[in-house]
Amino acid sequence: MHGRVKVKSTAQQEEEKRKEREKKLKIYVAARDACFSKRKEGIWDEGALQITQQLLSSNPDFGTLWNYRREILMHLETVKDEDEVQKIYEAELSFLESCLKVNPKSYGSWHHRDWVSTRLPRPDWARELSLCDRCLSLDDRNFHCWDYRRMVVKMSGVPVDQELAFTDRLIGSNFSNYSSWHYRSTLLPLLHPESPELPSPPRSSLPPSPQTHSHRVCEEQLLKEYELVQNAFFTDPNDQSAWFYYRWLLGRAEREEMISCVFVSREEERVSVAFSRPVNAQSVGLLLVLDGLPQRVEWRSVHPRFKHSPVWICDLPPGTVSDITNEHNLTVHWMEKHTHRDCALYTGRTESWCRDSATDQELFRSELSVEKTSVLQSELQSCNQLQELEPLNKWCLLTIVLLMRALDPLGYEKETLAHFQTLKEVDSTRSAYYSDLCSKFMIENTILKMEYAEVRVFSISDKNLTTLCHLDQLLLVTHINLSSNQLQRLPPQFAALQCLEVLEADNNSIENLEGVYHLPKLEEVLLKNNKISSLADLQPLASCLKLKRLDLRGNPVTRVANVESELAELLPSVSDLLL
Amino acid sequence: MGTQVKDVIVKPDAPSTLLLDKHADYIAAYGSKKDDYEYTLSEYLRMSGIYWGLTVMDLMGQLPRMNRQEIIDFIKACQHECGGVSASIGHDPHLLYTLSAVQILCLYDNVDALDVDKVVEYIKGLQQEDGSFAGDKWGEIDTRFSFCAVATLALLGKMDSINVDKAVEFVLSCMNFDGGFGCRPGSESHAGQIYCCSGFLSLTGQLHQVNSDLLGWWLCERQLPSGGLNGRPEKLPDVCYSWWVLASLKIIGRIHWIDKAKLRSFILACQDEETGGFADRPGDMVDPFHTLFGVAGLSLLGDEQIKPVNPVLCMPEDVLQRIDLQPDLLS
Repeated sequence: MHGRVKVKSTAQQEEEKRKEREKKLKIYVAARDACFSKRKEGIWDEGALQITQQLLSSNPDFGTLWNYRREILMHLETVKDEDEVQKIYEAELSFLESCLKVNPKSYGSWHHRDWVSTRLPRPDWARELSLCDRCLSLDDRNFHCWDYRRMVVKMSGVPVDQELAFTDRLIGSNFSNYSSWHYRSTLLPLLHPESPELPSPPRSSLPPSPQTHSHRVCEEQLLKEYELVQNAFFTDPNDQSAWFYYRWLLGRAEREEMISCVFVSREEERVSVAFSRPVNAQSVGLLLVLDGLPQRVEWRSVHPRFKHSPVWICDLPPGTVSDITNEHNLTVHWMEKHTHRDCALYTGRTESWCRDSATDQELFRSELSVEKTSVLQSELQSCNQLQELEPLNKWCLLTIVLLMRALDPLGYEKETLAHFQTLKEVDSTRSAYYSDLCSKFMIENTILKMEYAEVRVFSISDKNLTTLCHLDQLLLVTHINLSSNQLQRLPPQFAALQCLEVLEADNNSIENLEGVYHLPKLEEVLLKNNKISSLADLQPLASCLKLKRLDLRGNPVTRVANVESELAELLPSVSDLLL
Repeated sequence: MGTQVKDVIVKPDAPSTLLLDKHADYIAAYGSKKDDYEYTLSEYLRMSGIYWGLTVMDLMGQLPRMNRQEIIDFIKACQHECGGVSASIGHDPHLLYTLSAVQILCLYDNVDALDVDKVVEYIKGLQQEDGSFAGDKWGEIDTRFSFCAVATLALLGKMDSINVDKAVEFVLSCMNFDGGFGCRPGSESHAGQIYCCSGFLSLTGQLHQVNSDLLGWWLCERQLPSGGLNGRPEKLPDVCYSWWVLASLKIIGRIHWIDKAKLRSFILACQDEETGGFADRPGDMVDPFHTLFGVAGLSLLGDEQIKPVNPVLCMPEDVLQRIDLQPDLLS
């Protein structure tokens, strides 16, 4: 029951209404029972069509009655000639039109129209398309009608450019039309693919989705779209439709699927592999070849919670790489994707890796894009102009942040932080979203800085971090400093830090250490002034066998009875415990 | 220039405390009005209606007030030869009501009241070559039905009876430019559909395929100044979206991106102080559907007077623990 306002009424009015309803109920029940008994007797005649019509006119969601009508219609198909059948179905379409006028959002009516249209001996798709036009002119957001339209377009082969022109018209008359922008997102990539000479590989028989398939649009068309969207958001800067669409337009192409890193350690006799996306290594066909010989190994994700993970680990058969005087060559094959990565472990080296860094992969030109700098620069200028007119417009501010990240994430860091501050103030309802997004960008910047400096130290203290992400990019990090942020947990993804030796996370609000799990090199954990309250919270640390130093000062757990002896039992390797 | 934000104004005298007793009385009385016109008109969805009523009663700790035996007998009478379950007697079987029936029987720990093997066969038979599911033999395709299929099978512990890979492929083909999902490939994103698809991906262990940051942004932008959530851009807020949106955010680990206190006030304002029950918006007529989703939304927001609800299946967590079903959630 949607949108029915409750009205106060007198006792007399109530009584009248009750009587009215009683009468209607009797008629309704009689008609329903008549339908059911006719159907039971296998009666498929015009009379049954009439009586179901009567009921469905007032209650089009009564699905079983549509089913009964379909049975009758299918029966009539077998006993009437084509012209008669055509007439019967045309009558059905006019009946449906009257139903849709009363209730334009009934799933049952639309599906029945779908069904009738595809059975009509001589379908009139032009009429169906004009019905959609009329219906959408009454409510341009009716998704049932949009879906029906897409069916009609498909069945009758309406050219894509004609449909794109239709959205031009709708958007032209009202920019605030999310449905039309959505439709454009599905049409543009079909009409103007980025590289027509290189069709995207056929991944399945299903139509392409703007998310899961290569969806980039060629540059010429893209510039036109930018213009259209700018018109929209300059006209009404508070209309979210155009901004959502714009963020998509600015989006980057799909990442190449690959093995981004292979790391091998002699001491642990272990190989860690990072992928460009979460995979299930047990099912994607992963093959490890060591010195030309395929190895029988068992792959496990970094944390038992993950069936799909970007980082997977395996132990090599004992003794295979432990002798430091031997050189070894490893190759990891990702069979499903016909790709692989080699890694050489030279004599005298205790560990080795081979990888494409985040910088190499241009991972953090945000979700944004590979477009020419000049284009993005001029987009940024336009947005800056709008922001001068509308200094507190959140959509504009957020878009400026995204453009800045695409252009020069480190160079614009200061402005970005200032914009996030404003965003949290003008749109306080969503401040947690902005905090998390800002954290993500700061982490990306820190990764870039670390890579430029060619170090394995990741330091991001005092940056108001509320969440951790991109942890799979930190596989090689030996020292992490997360101190003085607002983190509440070290999530399971943290277990990707397979090389970590020192973890500094003082002065946060950490209460959960789930991700400090089987980190084979971890020796030092500094957690001063956090919110660890029970010994159970520390349980994950017991899987880090090299842990020597642990600082828990300023945590509630230090007040637990017998904490010292309990900890000695839980973490026998720790020799330097600060409570 | 500029469009007005579509929203409602919550009046200062709107209810601001949770009226659990009234809601329980409202639901308990609802099923006793069997000769009511409105009640009869909604017969085509009766099985789901019973699921809404029983689930909200269970969440409020009031399930024993409902007539267990009568309901179980009714469900048995609604199973058809093909294995599917209909909304009511005399109606045709459909995946929507098959799921509702199985959910109800899980609440009552009595799944065997149905012929489970036949239910499984029925669901299996509705999967199409492209992996999608028809709602019934008449062939309507919708990602809602993909959810119904896997949710029912998950509750029955029979997920492996369908082609899960194909089913996943179809749902992913419905993913849109905004990270959301629609009814079919190319259909516009809609919070109800997003709930079905994220729930589907949770049950099939494929949540990593969701672009959580993008989808989470779209979902948290559903919150309006009144605190209520809408289901699509530029639409009015509605209590049922406090479920569809909130549960989706919970599934993808982003529930903290909305303002919980504001949403709570909006949901509470949709209660009817006289009759009990929740309406879609403050001042509208109440119904069991919005009553369940209002209460379930409050549970997700952490209200301790209500049992914890599972965001994927919209059932009490203790029921799912009993059948050992723990759908994935992103952290």
